[in-house]
Amino acid sequence: MTRAREVTVRGVPVRLLSGGAGPALLFLHSAGGAGRWLPFQEHLARRFAVEFPSHPGHGGSPAAEWIEHISDLAFHYLDLLDLLGLERVHLVGASFGGWIAAEIAVMAAHRLKSLVLIDPVGIKVDGWIYPFLFAMDLPELVSTVFHDVTAALALVPRGEGPDTLLELARERAALARVAWNPYLYDPLLRRRLPRVTTPTLLCWGEHDRVASLACARVWAAELPDARLEIFGGSGHVPHLEEPARVAAVVGDFCAAREGAG
Amino acid sequence: MKFYYFHLMPYPLEHGEPSSWVTLSNRHYDPAVGHVLYNQYLDQLEYAETLGWDGLCVNEHHQNCYGTMPSPNVMAAMLVRRTRRARIAILGNGLPLRENPLRVAEEIAMLDVASGGRVISGFVRGIGPEYYSTAVNPTHSRERFYEAAELIIRAWTEAGPFPFDGRFYRYPFVNPWPRPLQRPHPPVWCPSQGSAETVEWAARRRFPYLMVFTPIRRIAQIYGEYREACERSGYTASRYQLTVNLPIVVAESDAKADAIARRNALWVYHVGLRMPLQFWQPPGYTTEASLRRLLTAGLKLPTELSFEDLEAGGYIICGGPATVRDKLRVFADELRAGVVCSGFPAGTHEATLDMMQLFAEEVMPHFREDADVDETAGVGR
Repeated sequence: MTRAREVTVRGVPVRLLSGGAGPALLFLHSAGGAGRWLPFQEHLARRFAVEFPSHPGHGGSPAAEWIEHISDLAFHYLDLLDLLGLERVHLVGASFGGWIAAEIAVMAAHRLKSLVLIDPVGIKVDGWIYPFLFAMDLPELVSTVFHDVTAALALVPRGEGPDTLLELARERAALARVAWNPYLYDPLLRRRLPRVTTPTLLCWGEHDRVASLACARVWAAELPDARLEIFGGSGHVPHLEEPARVAAVVGDFCAAREGAG
Repeated sequence: MKFYYFHLMPYPLEHGEPSSWVTLSNRHYDPAVGHVLYNQYLDQLEYAETLGWDGLCVNEHHQNCYGTMPSPNVMAAMLVRRTRRARIAILGNGLPLRENPLRVAEEIAMLDVASGGRVISGFVRGIGPEYYSTAVNPTHSRERFYEAAELIIRAWTEAGPFPFDGRFYRYPFVNPWPRPLQRPHPPVWCPSQGSAETVEWAARRRFPYLMVFTPIRRIAQIYGEYREACERSGYTASRYQLTVNLPIVVAESDAKADAIARRNALWVYHVGLRMPLQFWQPPGYTTEASLRRLLTAGLKLPTELSFEDLEAGGYIICGGPATVRDKLRVFADELRAGVVCSGFPAGTHEATLDMMQLFAEEVMPHFREDADVDETAGVGR
């Protein structure tokens, strides 16, 4: 059983989905993935108490105009951990959520039992420029993000009236506020990655066209304690494209770090 | 009524690409063709002064075939030295697109001093696709616009040096040389598409409001909102604060004008303004309140407009001299607009000059009750 509620983090209302039992696991979603409890979360919830907040401006969480930098979101989630009384958690972030997770890890590795980054963006990789998703129409966006385009059906908007369109516009604006320029990265993050002493699992879709495997190799090289798992049937969002496989690998990794220090 | 000749300086390319902005490759631009076009367009603007137009308008657009004036101040500089009487209206500089808006204060002051105080300075945000072309964050657009406008006006009106410490723009020393000739500063105009926030902002400062390429029923609505906002600010709007920008096609007869307009007037809407929705509306460019207004207003995209929509909707004025006079009367008497900015999509350069002459002889003289009025007195500052 999942439960949906609203909590207030330092005055910012946050929509929060919670489900499962076990050690606490915080999941930070990708752009477009807010508020959707899908098979990936369902699998993890069999082994962990999953906390799944919507970023401000995403998935029904109201926009927070004061957020102007990715580190604002990282501090926001450290505040959420305090509010929930979670001293140490397993932190799992996908794409944009992976970027936030990495920012949290360079700030406060001591709050993390393990770190899982699924096709994160967030660092500048020489020779790679993230494709400008804001300029794409829906078909191009889907074919860029997904290797298995049928997996995109899970993210189809629930309505089509003005309210739905406004909600989508709010999400795009919330993303653009922190990611338009520099586009999808924080120039300071890469040189701080050596601070992340947390055991880290990098999950990567072999066919990722947003952040290629070249990016994965840079993350693996910069993080002191990282292992790279490649998923052959996926593009940029393997947790949506191969949810059972990814959840099994993630679950095993986090479980192995449970109580390991 | 005052008449301003408005030029987009288009590169009139026919193409099948999905967008005329941002992604339309500049390999389509032939500089040899551009050389001829620029000079014809400048000739047209100069001829407009000869024929009696009150003002000449240039404007800023980037990376597109719709309007090839990335720097309107460069074009204004050319006009300043080739004209003697007409106002030079720059409609306008895209303030948020600048990393150093003090440069706008400097360039406008240069033009104002050189022209003997003939400059009108439009302030615009730039349209959606320009946030893709310049990489300026569209979620900052509105705040950068207000901040840059405040900086520029202070730079024109306060003795320097003084420090300026904004969220986006910071200077330890604001002290531009030259200062503008017009006091307290050149009139500021606000060309816009009718967002509630801009209407309020412009009205509060007495900045004339310019509706660009908008159907007449929406112009009427926005004018009403602007006038109400002026009343809330404690004054009654002058008719010279209400400006309309629309193309005019005039010919010897209605039938001839109709044929010319069908051939030429649609290009701006069907090609020039062709772009996907995500370019029109970059994230955060429009507030949620204004976006809701747009979604429920049922406006068509330019590419969805038929010729009949353009004519019936009052997006353009088209006809023989008598018909054009009648239609302009609606703007002058019912909408009470004081300034009409218009281009004349006649086709060739020669046809444009002929059409301008016909308009100047057969239409303009019928709207000159206010010939002795200075339309810039007491507005725009």
